[in-house]
Amino acid sequence: MDYKRIGFFLALIWGVVALLPIFFGSTQFLMHILIMCLIWSVVASCWDLIMGFAGIFSFGQVAFFVMGAYASAIISAKFGIPPIFAVFLAGGISGAVGVLVGIPCLKLKGAYIALVTFAVHMILEPILKGDIGRALGTGGSRGILTIEPMSLFGYTFNASAPIPYFYLIFAVAVICSAVIYLVIRSHWGTAFLALKDSEDFAACLGVSAFKYKLMVFALTSFLTGTIGGFYAHYVGMLSTRMLGIDLFVTLMVILVIGGVGKFPGAIVGAFITIAANEMLSPLGPYRPVILGAMVVVLVLVLPDGIVGLVEKFSGRTGSREVAVKST
Amino acid sequence: MWIEIIDVIISGLINGSVYALMAVGLTLIYGVSKAFNFAYGSFYSMGGYIAFLMFGAAFLNNYLIVFCLAVPVLLLLGFVVEKLLVAPLRKRDDWEIKVMMITLGLALFLDNAYQVVFGARMKALPTILEGAFEAGEFILSYQDVVIFILSIGGILAFRWFLNNTRTGMSVRAVAQNPMGAQIVGIPKEFVFAATFAISTVMVGMGGILLAQKYFVTPTGGWDILVKAWVITAFGGMGSIQGGLYAAFIVGMLEAFVGWHFGMNWTLMALFVVLLATLAIRPQGLMGKWG
Repeated sequence: MDYKRIGFFLALIWGVVALLPIFFGSTQFLMHILIMCLIWSVVASCWDLIMGFAGIFSFGQVAFFVMGAYASAIISAKFGIPPIFAVFLAGGISGAVGVLVGIPCLKLKGAYIALVTFAVHMILEPILKGDIGRALGTGGSRGILTIEPMSLFGYTFNASAPIPYFYLIFAVAVICSAVIYLVIRSHWGTAFLALKDSEDFAACLGVSAFKYKLMVFALTSFLTGTIGGFYAHYVGMLSTRMLGIDLFVTLMVILVIGGVGKFPGAIVGAFITIAANEMLSPLGPYRPVILGAMVVVLVLVLPDGIVGLVEKFSGRTGSREVAVKST
Repeated sequence: MWIEIIDVIISGLINGSVYALMAVGLTLIYGVSKAFNFAYGSFYSMGGYIAFLMFGAAFLNNYLIVFCLAVPVLLLLGFVVEKLLVAPLRKRDDWEIKVMMITLGLALFLDNAYQVVFGARMKALPTILEGAFEAGEFILSYQDVVIFILSIGGILAFRWFLNNTRTGMSVRAVAQNPMGAQIVGIPKEFVFAATFAISTVMVGMGGILLAQKYFVTPTGGWDILVKAWVITAFGGMGSIQGGLYAAFIVGMLEAFVGWHFGMNWTLMALFVVLLATLAIRPQGLMGKWG
C-alpha cells in the first residue's frame, strides 16, 4: 500500500470507530470492550512500528506499557500532579527506559534483541513486587488498588459513564496513529525500511542506524507508556498480572491478524482480536487453547493478515516495494 | 561451611548438566536453521507429562521403558511440527518473525492444553533411584548422580552423532553453509526437520530428568525456555561448545546466587551477567555473526 491508501484506510477505520458508540453506547460492557480495543490498538501499532517497519524484534512492549501505567499511577498519587499531565510524564519515563534498553540492543541482532527486550519484561515483575517497587509505591504483589480518575477542564471522566471516556481514549488513539503514520511517511520511515532490508547498504548510503534505532525505541516506548497511563487511570487498579504471558500473546495475535508491517492492519487486528477474545471468554480454560491454535493456523493460512487478504483481492503488490519506490 | 559450599557446587554442576542438554538443543536449531523456537519450553513440559502418563499406566512404570518410548514419540513430534508449521514459512523473506509467532502460538496452545487435560496442579514423578551416599555431613543423593550421568551421557551421545554419523555430518554441513550443503546434495529440508526433532528429544529428556526434582506444571516450561535462551545467547547462538560452557557457568551462578542472596535474585543475576557479556561481546562467548 502506498501512503495515500494507508491514510485513506486510517481515516476510514477511525471514521467507523467514531460512530460505534451510537450503536453500542447504551451497553456499558460493550463500551468497555471498545475502549480496550482502542488502547490495545495503540500498543499494537507501536509494536508494529518497531517490529514490522524498523525490523527490531522488541519483545518489551508490554513491559513499557506496564511501566507507563505504574509510573502514571504513582506520579499522580505521590506528587498530586493531575492525571492528564502524569500520563505524559509516565510516557517520558517509559521513553527514557526505552532508550536505555535500546542502547545495548544497537550492537545486537535478531533473536538477541528479542532476548534482551524480553528480559526487561521478565525482570519487571520481581522489581515491581520486590522491595524496590514497594519503596516506589507499587504496592508489592497486591498492586495499586485506587488510582485517581482522569479529569480535564474540571470534568472528571468516570468509568461508569463510558461514552466521554471512549472519546477521550479515541482522541489519544487517533493522535498516536497519526504520529505513527507521519513517521512512516517521513524520511524516518524510509530510513527504517532501508535499515531493515539491508543494514550494511543503508549505512553505506549514510543512514545512521544508531540514530534511527534509538529514535524508534524512544518513540514507541513513549507512546506505549502514555497509553499505559491512560489505561491505569481508566481501569483504576493495577497488578503485575498484566505481565503474564496471556496478554503478551494476545498482542501477538493482534499483529498476526492485522499483519506485521502493514500499518493500519494492527488497528483492525486489535478490534477483531479483543472482540473475539471477549466472545470466547465463556469457554473458560479453552479460550487460550483456541487462541493459540488460531495463531498457528492464521500464520500458516494468512501470513500477511487482514491487510494481506485485502491486497490479494485488490490485486496490489506487497507494501514494502511500493512504499520504497514512491518516495 | 565447606560442606555447604561443596553442596552448592554439586547442585550447580547437576543443574548445569541438564541446562547444557537443553541449551544445546536450542542452540542447535538456531545454528542450523536460524529459527527460534518459542515452543521449546512447552516441549520440556511435554517430556514431563509423557513420563507422568506412563507412570500412570501399570506396566510402563519404569524409567528405562519411559526413556525408550519417550524418545521416539518426541522425535516424531518434533519432526512433524517442523514439517507442518515451520517448513512452509521458510520461503517467505520475513520468515524469522513468522516462525517466532507460530511457535509462540504453539506454546500457548500446548501450555493451555496441558492445563485443560491434566489440570493446573503440579504433577510429581517418582525418583529415578532412591537412597543417598553419605560421608559424615556430606550427602549426595543417587538421584542427582543419575541425572548428572544421564545428561552428560546425552550430550556425549549427541556429540558422537554429530561427528560420526552421516546425518550428523550433514547437520554440521548445513550449519556451516546451507547453500554449499545443498549443492553437494545434502537434503536441506530433511536436515532442518531432523535437527528440530533432535532438539525436541533433548529438551524432552531434560523435562523427564528435572521433573523428578521440580515437578511438572503446565506453564513450567517458560522458566526453562528463558534459561535455555539466556544460556544460548550467553554462549553464542549456534555455538554448541559455547552453550556447554555457558550452561555450567549459569548453573554455578544460579547455585551460588541462590545460596548467598536467595532464589529471588537468580533470574536478575542471570540477566545482569548476560547484559554485561553482551555489552562486551555482542555475539556471546563463542558465537559468530551470520
